Amino acid sequence: MHMADALLSPAVGGAMYAASGAAIAYSAIKVKKDELSEKKLPIMAVTGAFVFAAQMINFTIPGTGSSGHIGGGILLCAMLGGFPALLSLAAVLIIQCLFFADGGLLALGCNIFNIGVLPCLLVYPLIFKPIVRKGLTYKRITIASIVSAVVGLQLGAFGVVLQTLASGITQLPFGTFAALMQPIHLAIGLVEGVITAAVVCFVYKMRPEILESAIAGTTIKSGVPVKKVVAVLAVVTVLVGGLLSWFASANPDGLEWSIEKTAGTTELESSGGIFDSAAAVQEATAILPDYNFPSAGEEGSAAGTSVAGIVGGAMTFALAGATGLLISAAKKKKNRVESKAAS
Amino acid sequence: MANMQSKIQEIYSLEQLSGRKSAVHDRHPLVKLLSAFVYIVLVVSFGRHEFGRLIPFIFYPVVLMALSETPWSLVLRRVAIAIPFCLLAGISNIIFDRAIAFSVGGIAVSAGVVSFFSILFRTFLCVTAVLILVAVTPVSQLSNQLRRLRVPDLFVTLFEMVYRYIGVLLDEASTMYTAYMLRSTEHKGLHIRHMGSFVGQLLIRSYDRAERVYNAMKCRGYPGRDTRKIKAPLSGADYVYLAATTLPFILLRVFDITAVFERIF
Repeated sequence: MHMADALLSPAVGGAMYAASGAAIAYSAIKVKKDELSEKKLPIMAVTGAFVFAAQMINFTIPGTGSSGHIGGGILLCAMLGGFPALLSLAAVLIIQCLFFADGGLLALGCNIFNIGVLPCLLVYPLIFKPIVRKGLTYKRITIASIVSAVVGLQLGAFGVVLQTLASGITQLPFGTFAALMQPIHLAIGLVEGVITAAVVCFVYKMRPEILESAIAGTTIKSGVPVKKVVAVLAVVTVLVGGLLSWFASANPDGLEWSIEKTAGTTELESSGGIFDSAAAVQEATAILPDYNFPSAGEEGSAAGTSVAGIVGGAMTFALAGATGLLISAAKKKKNRVESKAAS
Repeated sequence: MANMQSKIQEIYSLEQLSGRKSAVHDRHPLVKLLSAFVYIVLVVSFGRHEFGRLIPFIFYPVVLMALSETPWSLVLRRVAIAIPFCLLAGISNIIFDRAIAFSVGGIAVSAGVVSFFSILFRTFLCVTAVLILVAVTPVSQLSNQLRRLRVPDLFVTLFEMVYRYIGVLLDEASTMYTAYMLRSTEHKGLHIRHMGSFVGQLLIRSYDRAERVYNAMKCRGYPGRDTRKIKAPLSGADYVYLAATTLPFILLRVFDITAVFERIF
């Protein structure tokens, strides 16, 4: 479910970076407030590394002849609590992105959001904890794990669909994409839910205090603190601005529609000295005219790849290859000279 | 599961690469980070059908890899991992976008095909840019730079620790797995029935190890937060590097170079 850079636009990537960054900063603050935070750090780190190791373990699914591995979001939440789990998951995702090319650098914000923020800050407190609130039993743990895993993965998969479509690089229609993503992740979610339930039940049998302290560690005080409300509003604003704006209708808005009906054009032209100079100033200062890059044009012209373009492209490749080879040759010569001088 | 050992090798071979010296390795981590980020944003900002304008961007990975002596085999292996998902999405473009873009010697090429190659090329460029970044920047430098950029210290320390402990826990998981396989009758891998207790055991061992790690850190004087004062001024060479790796590509993004070729031919 890790997204790649190539299907993402900078605007969507940036918006998700902001949302994930805000969530991480907020979680860091919440974790620091806990007096045991410095003891929690090694636990968070090691369980984060555990998620990494656990994802390497492929198990065979009987009957299908295929294999799979767990994601680990809800599992981490059950062990650590929502906020520490988000921090650990984000660290793991960054390492996977940087060192294993699992998910692109620009898509990191999206991946942290889909795989981390949604399960840890949304599904865990709203679904997992209420189900086990009355007390931990094997039955409640199982139900909570399965439901949380399924819902978490559905939300994450839907996030991927929305972010890819908002970027506009792929032309897969919404219906098809969603119809592909959601059922697959439903199956994955069920399997992960069952495994999470099995693991959490095992941990509950062996070391129940781990689960109990995780659930207790993030109790919400009565009364709504202002800072929390502001933080939530900030995230929602970024989401609305970043994501939903891309669904903005191409049809003229109410004002333009009525102008069109009366004046025959959607925009009234004004001429005259002060309007021209104002327009000139606006043109000079608008770094993202019409909410896009200045030379974006109509999705780029394919004319750039006409025959001339292909020949030019081939020449450029050859030139780049030659440059690289020249530099390597020069370095090898320098190394040989240096080692001769040293010996 | 043999891939566990190879995964450990991968992480730590990158670490060895980043410890070497070259014109690129010696640069300040901030400019290396910035240049990779700007480069990726520029590559990704091109329109769906732009391929010709993307081609000169190949200079960034080629030149930097030659200068830093990063082996190409490493890069190509990483790109191979990242390709499958993009292939799937790209193929859907071929299916859905049938408008003819241009003809080459009588064969009409659809815009969908152009965007397919554009997506593949973009993936290649972005993956190599990230790989070059981690191949020339040691993790300690990277995390110090993140701290200077005001990323919460808790998170940066967590990142460093997760990085260190992955190797330790992969070893643990590998040992457990070998023990399981030696005692099991079916040799196809972990049976799903045993997944719960296997992963649970690994989890509990990780948890206990974390307690021991905490005690060891306290014994060695860990104060609970990072107190290092790290000052690293930017040198002239750093500015040159930043300019050389961003300005040409910004210009390429703003101006259409394929028009030049069209005028030549």
